[in-house]
Amino acid sequence: MSVLELLLELVLMPIVAFVIGLFMVLMMRKIGARLQRRVGPPVFQPLYDIVKLYGKRTQVSHGLMHDIGIIMAVGGYVAAETLLPMPGMNGIAEKGGLIALLYVIMIPSLGLALGVGQCANPNGSIGISRALTAMLAYDIPFVIVIFGVAWHFGTTNLVDIIALQQAGGIATWGAVEMPLLAIAGLFGMQAMLGKQPFEIYVAPAEIATGPMVEMGGKYLGGLFVMQSFQLYTAAVIYVTLFLGGGENWLFFLIKIFAVVAIPMSIAFLFPRYRTENLVGLLWKWPVMAGLIGVALLMY
Amino acid sequence: MKEIQQIPVAQASRTNPFARVFDELTAFCRSRSMFMLHYCTGCGAIELPPAMTSRFDMERLGIQPMVSPRQADILLITGYVSVKTLKRVILTYEQMASPKYVIGICSCTVNGGMYWQSYATAKKLNDYMPVDMYIAGCMPRPEAVIEGLRGLMERVRTGEANGWEDYYRRYDYYLGHQQRLFGEAWQTPTNVIQEAEHYGLAGPETEGEHTALLRQHQQPLEPLEMRIGLKERV
Ligand code: SF4
Repeated sequence: MSVLELLLELVLMPIVAFVIGLFMVLMMRKIGARLQRRVGPPVFQPLYDIVKLYGKRTQVSHGLMHDIGIIMAVGGYVAAETLLPMPGMNGIAEKGGLIALLYVIMIPSLGLALGVGQCANPNGSIGISRALTAMLAYDIPFVIVIFGVAWHFGTTNLVDIIALQQAGGIATWGAVEMPLLAIAGLFGMQAMLGKQPFEIYVAPAEIATGPMVEMGGKYLGGLFVMQSFQLYTAAVIYVTLFLGGGENWLFFLIKIFAVVAIPMSIAFLFPRYRTENLVGLLWKWPVMAGLIGVALLMY
Repeated sequence: MKEIQQIPVAQASRTNPFARVFDELTAFCRSRSMFMLHYCTGCGAIELPPAMTSRFDMERLGIQPMVSPRQADILLITGYVSVKTLKRVILTYEQMASPKYVIGICSCTVNGGMYWQSYATAKKLNDYMPVDMYIAGCMPRPEAVIEGLRGLMERVRTGEANGWEDYYRRYDYYLGHQQRLFGEAWQTPTNVIQEAEHYGLAGPETEGEHTALLRQHQQPLEPLEMRIGLKERV
């Protein structure tokens, strides 16, 4: 592959991811609306929101870290997209692999923590401390899942993992061979997306959307962009590890949309846990399922 | 009234031919995506839940509730504003990012309504902050609320809803009314005059006798002290 092609892929992949992410946000809001027997927003609503927010003439900045934090939050995901293979485009997925990905998708949370820290808004600080606690909680099952998958396929290279699953057909998909790990992964994804019942760090009624409380205009716009990337990233990681990646664009889209529909449909039916309950829950059930799953694999 | 609307308004000319397209796109998106902060001050607030939930569903118009003034575009004042709440409403309004819009729901915001004789309520909301849209009624039905919001959307799309500019252009006027109600020592944490300069809206009426009074009493803003641990009891 020539350098030019690679560069083109590196530019295209985040853009495609963003567009798909916008539709995922739309789907999330539509699912919520339908469950509440409402009509829901029009098709381009996520786009309107983002253009509107970037068009605001806000004068509020809380300092340099506040600005850099948002850039880290979006940039972390942009970097993650280039590590995630999509049909026909691999980007630098072969060079990166699972471990690098694991690190890169932690950058947004840390960037947000830095940025929000400078706002000096108590709601924001509480939100961020909850977000980092949640990260601590879901990273344990997540790492177990990643370890199990890497052990099973014998590689951390995402392109190889997809190729192995596609060569063997559905019977060799991660979800079929490692059902316990797939369940643990689904659990972790719910927490990673911060959806109810694990929505402790947004909690609008309690800490006024936590990290987002001081974000207006372009800052909030950045976070909306980040949200679409986040949904896409979580879905693609899951599809890559457990559902055989995308054979072609049609299957790829069906799979990733189906995967994000699961946490969203669950989300609107639940209230919220307290922080300590969340940590207890995540360290108990998905970790247990994951460990048993790994033990079965190794046996 | 007709003549007033036909007075030509000088538009600053933009040199970039695409700027106009871009402005129109932004204006359209602005009108189709409104985050509202409902400061439920009075009884009129009770008509908002049906307007938001499944019966009338505001979200299909792109209107959704937000919880912090920084994120919001519309400030909904739903009902009478007592002197005490008005202070909070003004603080909230000043923290919102421009362009921002105010909707006064209920007759009480228009002229005091049935609290006309009360010593504790502010009668006309647009003495204290520019109101873009009034929805009268005691209380207005959700249909009326939606109708009002649609009216505001239309005005935002055509660029007529620019009450917020008025707040910065004629800050002295609004501040005068605020001082009359809250006393001379009234000050908010937001430096409105500086913001007016930031937006390029500072004009001859931004400053005047009332802002001079404000300057006299103004205490400098200090950042909150960051402290770990509890303060010692005395
Ligand atoms: S207009 Fe009527 S319903 Fe509205 S706040 Fe006043 S008294 Fe209440």
